[in-house]
Amino acid sequence: MIDESKGRLRSLDVFMGLGFLAVAAFVAYDGFVAYYAPQLATVEKSSNPGVTTLFIAGLMGVFGLAIAIIGMLGSGRPFRIARQAVSETLQSKAFYKGIIALACIAVYFFVFWGRIPYVISTFLFLAGTMAIFKAGAWWKIVIISGITVTVVWYVFGVLAMIPLP
Amino acid sequence: MGFEQIMVEVLKTLNIEFIFLIAMGVFIGLVVGALPGLTTTMGIALLTGITFKFSGHSAIALLMGLYVGGVSGGSLSAILVGIPGTPANASSTQDGFPLAMAGKGAQAITISRMASIIGTLFGIGCLAFLTPLLTELALKFTSAEFFLVGLFGVLISGALTGGDIALKGWVAGIFGLAIGMVGSDELTAWQRMTFGSPELFGGIPFIPIMIGFFGIPQVVEALTDEHDVLVAVLDKTKVKLKDITKYWWVAIRSGLIGVGVGIIPGVGEDVASWTSYGVAKKSSKHPEEYGKGSIEGLVAAETADNSCVGGAIIPLLSMGIPGSPPAAVMLGAFLIHGVRPGPMLSFEFPAFTYQAVSWLLVATIFMRFFAMWLARPMQKILQIKNAILMPIVTVLCAIGAFSLDMRFIDIILVFVSGLLGLLFKQGKYPAAPLVLGIVLGPLVDTNFRRALKASGGDFSIFFTRPVSLILVISIILLILGQLGVFTKIKAMFTKTRTAAS
Repeated sequence: MIDESKGRLRSLDVFMGLGFLAVAAFVAYDGFVAYYAPQLATVEKSSNPGVTTLFIAGLMGVFGLAIAIIGMLGSGRPFRIARQAVSETLQSKAFYKGIIALACIAVYFFVFWGRIPYVISTFLFLAGTMAIFKAGAWWKIVIISGITVTVVWYVFGVLAMIPLP
Repeated sequence: MGFEQIMVEVLKTLNIEFIFLIAMGVFIGLVVGALPGLTTTMGIALLTGITFKFSGHSAIALLMGLYVGGVSGGSLSAILVGIPGTPANASSTQDGFPLAMAGKGAQAITISRMASIIGTLFGIGCLAFLTPLLTELALKFTSAEFFLVGLFGVLISGALTGGDIALKGWVAGIFGLAIGMVGSDELTAWQRMTFGSPELFGGIPFIPIMIGFFGIPQVVEALTDEHDVLVAVLDKTKVKLKDITKYWWVAIRSGLIGVGVGIIPGVGEDVASWTSYGVAKKSSKHPEEYGKGSIEGLVAAETADNSCVGGAIIPLLSMGIPGSPPAAVMLGAFLIHGVRPGPMLSFEFPAFTYQAVSWLLVATIFMRFFAMWLARPMQKILQIKNAILMPIVTVLCAIGAFSLDMRFIDIILVFVSGLLGLLFKQGKYPAAPLVLGIVLGPLVDTNFRRALKASGGDFSIFFTRPVSLILVISIILLILGQLGVFTKIKAMFTKTRTAAS
């Protein structure tokens, strides 16, 4: 009988091993492009940039494949275990909290950054995230966010003279 | 450069400005190290972004202060709340927290501080003594040796930090090497894996990747964690020097282990402290006390992780190959500030090693005082909710990455590498070899091809020189050993012998 957490880890290994294999395939493709590039025809083959890329791709491919095989052998039924793990994860509170945390960061980085003045966007992010994760009373959140934004603006924008977005 | 000139150069960088910066670095390091979720590596990456407008040497002095403070600071939370501030202090939790819960918190902190000082001084001594020797050796290296040292570093780092299976460490390191090769090739200016994006022509910037890889997963994990923190009460016990001098042999042995592990590329303080703790427990007269509040165990762990700081800087300065993840980020900071570590450093900045030694010594002095002063305020700071601290950390991550080049792509990289960091954590893939791979990517790439070019494409260049041959054999033995080949052979022989008898 395989330990459940070990089985799940091995199941994940199958997918991550295949992921590394896919990355290795891309790196190898890039290596081949460089190796046979007409622009590099005058460069000695031994010092062609594709040489190292192919070497690295080969190693990554071998290791990725080995991890996938170990995962396959260790988990027994990787796809069934993965399906079960995904359905359980989707029911856990921690998973949704993680998604919300990532969403807050994504909104700050990709929606606010550069579109809303830095001081306002940072204040909104801090206050919003603290409120969502129940950091305390609203007035505490406002004070902490305000102080943080002021300090960051002064240190980076004024002292370090970084053009804040 | 003569001794007098070196001393003049050292004294030039020991003025009030430098001392203030080192003190600030130690203070920030102690706080960053003590706060669970913020690691020394992340602290150095964040501060590199913030200090990039500083003059080269002063920024590096500040970062070295942070390195010393960070490794030492992690023990404060390990002792007070039983949660290591950094992975390097996980072994200190084993005995530090039980001591604190038994009402000996102040004693545990003082002893861990003394052990930290002994360890740091031991590491600094080895740094001063071994760096010139290793530099002399590195000056004799050709491209073949540099390539093999880089590859060996990534593989041994992967093997020692792999945890679950060594292959995970290796693939993480090789993945890091691939990331390190993105951008314009140094020898031919050919664009590799850039997807035609001009913003990637200069390569993937190291600091935003590090900030994202270490910062974002910590933020997400801390925000999902609802556990309350139990803070131990500090007593007023006075600790005498003899309380620690009776463990002189443990301290020396742990110092040696720390420096030895530190010199191995990309392994770092956590492996050093666990190794030292394990050795101390095995050779102790009272192994049953370990894990229940053994002062000997605390001394072993704290001396080793702090001596590892000096050890990790030795290969960084002499060969340009960092000995730990924080040292790897420091390499990035060195390059940003125009200091190129490696054998040529002794020609470009002849006094640099000794300047680094003097900064580390000053940092040790400040660490001695700050750590005790901070112990009581830290009891309060450690009770700050993650919901308050982590959004602030996110803001610092973003501005730290952005301030380097003022490019939006760095913010994207922080997010993407953060997702990658989360995936790596889930799959139990170690971060250390990935970090090492990214910083060593260009070194491995250019030296591999230079060696092949010099030999006219003949691969025998990697076997015919003595140092190369030793490295190739080490790599093969390392791989075979980790794959369990020797264990299987031994088992086969035992089986045959048993059957014969």
